[in-house]
Amino acid sequence: MKRSLILNVNGEEHEVEIEPNRLLLQVLRDTLGLTGTKEGCSIGVCGACSVIIDGRLVSSCLTLAAGCAGKKIETIEGLAKDGKLHPLQQAFIEYGGFQCGICTPGQIMAAKALLDENPKPSEEEVKEWMSGNLCRCTGYYKILDSVMAVVNGKTDPNYTFRKRETTAKIQSLDVYKPVAKTS
Amino acid sequence: MAKTEKYSVVGQRVQRVEGFDKVTGESKFIADIQLPGTLIGRVLRSPYPHARIHRIDTSKAAKLSGVRAVVTAEDTIKRPWGAFFADQYILSVGKTRYVGEEVAAVAAIDPDIAEEAIDLIEVDWEPLPGVFDAEEAMKDGAPLVHEDKPNNIAMQMDLERGNIAQAFAESDVIVEDTFTSMPQWHCSIETIGSVAEYSTSGKYTIYMNTQTLFNARYRIATALGVPESNVRIIQSAVGGGFGGKSCDDNNALVAAVLAKKAGKPVKLINSREEEFLAGCRPRVFMKINVRLGFKKNGRIRAKHIKVIADNGAYSAKAPAITGVAAMRHDTCYKYTDVKTEALLVYTNKIPTGAFRGFGNPSAEWAVEQAIDLGAHELGIDPIEIARINAAETGYVSPHGNRVTSCELKQCLDMAERMIEWKAKRAAKRPNTGLGLACTVHVSGKRHFGDYDGSSATIKINEDGKALILSGEGECGQGVHTAMCQIAAEELGVAIEDVEISRADTDLTTFCLGAFASRLTYVSGNAVKNAATNVKEQLFEQAAEMLEANPQDLMSRDGKIFVQGAEGKSLTVSDVARARLFRHNGAPIVGSGSFDADSVLPDSTRFGNESGAYNYGVQAAEVHVDPDTGQVKILNFVIASDCGTVIYPLGAEGQVEGGLAQGIGYALTEGLQIDEGKPINPNFSDYRIPSMRDMPPLQHAFADSYEPTGPFGAKGLGELNMDPTAAVINNAIFEAVGVRVKTLPITPEKILRALKEKPREK
Repeated sequence: MKRSLILNVNGEEHEVEIEPNRLLLQVLRDTLGLTGTKEGCSIGVCGACSVIIDGRLVSSCLTLAAGCAGKKIETIEGLAKDGKLHPLQQAFIEYGGFQCGICTPGQIMAAKALLDENPKPSEEEVKEWMSGNLCRCTGYYKILDSVMAVVNGKTDPNYTFRKRETTAKIQSLDVYKPVAKTS
Repeated sequence: MAKTEKYSVVGQRVQRVEGFDKVTGESKFIADIQLPGTLIGRVLRSPYPHARIHRIDTSKAAKLSGVRAVVTAEDTIKRPWGAFFADQYILSVGKTRYVGEEVAAVAAIDPDIAEEAIDLIEVDWEPLPGVFDAEEAMKDGAPLVHEDKPNNIAMQMDLERGNIAQAFAESDVIVEDTFTSMPQWHCSIETIGSVAEYSTSGKYTIYMNTQTLFNARYRIATALGVPESNVRIIQSAVGGGFGGKSCDDNNALVAAVLAKKAGKPVKLINSREEEFLAGCRPRVFMKINVRLGFKKNGRIRAKHIKVIADNGAYSAKAPAITGVAAMRHDTCYKYTDVKTEALLVYTNKIPTGAFRGFGNPSAEWAVEQAIDLGAHELGIDPIEIARINAAETGYVSPHGNRVTSCELKQCLDMAERMIEWKAKRAAKRPNTGLGLACTVHVSGKRHFGDYDGSSATIKINEDGKALILSGEGECGQGVHTAMCQIAAEELGVAIEDVEISRADTDLTTFCLGAFASRLTYVSGNAVKNAATNVKEQLFEQAAEMLEANPQDLMSRDGKIFVQGAEGKSLTVSDVARARLFRHNGAPIVGSGSFDADSVLPDSTRFGNESGAYNYGVQAAEVHVDPDTGQVKILNFVIASDCGTVIYPLGAEGQVEGGLAQGIGYALTEGLQIDEGKPINPNFSDYRIPSMRDMPPLQHAFADSYEPTGPFGAKGLGELNMDPTAAVINNAIFEAVGVRVKTLPITPEKILRALKEKPREK
């Protein structure tokens, strides 16, 4: 039997009607269309589905959505604000902390949960913490570099991202004007 | 020599072109693609390793409310298909040959209903005796996996170059041993999946996370019995490939059959368990006997290798993989006389196939240990044995592989320096040892007919940005970034001004896809040629505008000008617009092709399989706890020769990721199969390395230039998966004097070997 509840995701409240056996992962992806959270192993081992609930890192593939009513849920979609990336997101680009990117939202959420609680972890603490998030592409070195860059303030403040320009240099109508010879 | 300083984009530390989408979670992987009205597919799989199917009753399932289609082999044309041998069906015809084989499937409005419907399908099974071991399977009277394959032999090869008997007779020292490798799963964090739709006009549109779109289209068209043009494959973002997503499995075909019958799009995504049972085709497991003859001075005089490869129930790419295991390594050292015998044998287990390394990890696990045995027997430092025998530029292997660039000796020097080989060996500590191995890989492989090429199209948009249309297989490795760099370098524009499409068989030209470490080399050359073509068009137009000769023009930083007169320049946008918006106007669009200068191996397997060969050396320092058998890798170093490094962040990632898979292969990974039934098909029992399992690593690239590569580049992707298991085992031998001969090298096996050690004396 479906029941109605309110989920607070990334600071926004969503009223959802769901079966009580629905997992948070399914509700985020299928009901709310927040597909940044990924399914990897379905048994809470790989960390691809990591989200943060009331400050704690959890596997959304093992969490019943119904139990999340009234709690603050953070997903990868909530990190970038007004088109500006979270420092961890920047670091993962700058230091190459991903290849295929399927585990990346989970990696970034896991790192965020750690740094929210302990902004200055040692490299050993980061390794231990991040070992719950599997990656098959990178060998983890660049993920570690990315997280440590944030810990040590080594991200480039002037780093420019490969992001589309949002204002065209050329006015659209100008496109059709003939180009004058320069001679 | 790789002089990347002279390039403005190639070799620069650029960011990944699709990086923004990856870190925000906006990349659309296969599970994220949602078409209106999409049904959910589920598959009924064989619970038996070998069974006859007398009858399938789908009536109860079809009647369940919410079910839109139930399909069996009767809904297909029952035409067998496969990469090299047509031996598998979309859905079982008459019998099943391994646990997990697709028998029937349903499409329903939600997953719960689809799963309930699967339970309602009734199958009248007759379990048959199975074969689970390659050597048992070859015996007379063993059950046959395929009735038309006597003794279950799928493929056999036996060839000799030179005079092997004489070469062994002339050897001063002969070593011989047998090494067994294990199946290894790709374990991409994203499983295989597809979203298929069928239009009444007869067209299949299939979204797939495949790394080889056009090969997928060909195989899907064959199995469905339609022309290629009736099938459109659109690539989603791919969450890791490693060879596993090269369409040797039935996922997309089952989705297509369901979509046609249901008249609605069908999404079929493998669960993690299904991925292990019947998704990506795991590494072919092999038993390899190696016999090497050496001269006293350390030169290898003779090599005889015997490979018995377990094919599983269907062949996929295993025939080519077995050939690579038997022959590829002969391009690593300067061999003269070699003999190779290989048997590929059907069993009632999961079909095996392509996984990063393609036979090479199994071969290097065996051969690089045999070399180490020889070094110990001769009393020569293993690194010197490697130096004495290392291939060099100009080497032609006994099988015809022509080496146009090779910095293996430089890699040996680099690895030696990084790990402090001499000093550490001189100051040997108890239970600690150093090991190394050399490796070779290809940059493309000529085996899908007489073609190992690529093609690309580049168009210039009105705003001056270039868009590459490529049908190749970006599967997470980052090749799109390398392709954008190559195009930017050739066009003389900034990397930010080049974009690239995802592959789509209706929109992009024919490309073979991601395998054999081919893309940077093969598709890089095609993209470079396309960019040259575009540049010619731009210069022709610009010459008219600048009243100059096209030959006198050059482009830099997005500006086109007469050499020496940079002050008067045009932007790419100015030129593209001028070419378009006028009488007889046309957009600037160019295409380029490339086919490697390799030679299709003949009936005796003599040829030149690739356009370029990449080399490397890995070395490790390990400590073994003699009380627990635990192996701790203290240091790991890698030197790689991939020609010019185009995309440093990506190239480093390939090295590091290859090592992680190599460490898993060496120490923890291996699917346990009991009487044909996998018993650990999940991530908690099949353990891939995590962050804390990775050792301290130093790695570097050789100063190298491949004359046939784009800006001197060649392949890299598989190289550093290949030798790792041998490196670790050679170091373990140096540390504690025992050698485990079956993968994975577990603490239990080491302890057993240590216990048996005194008795050997």
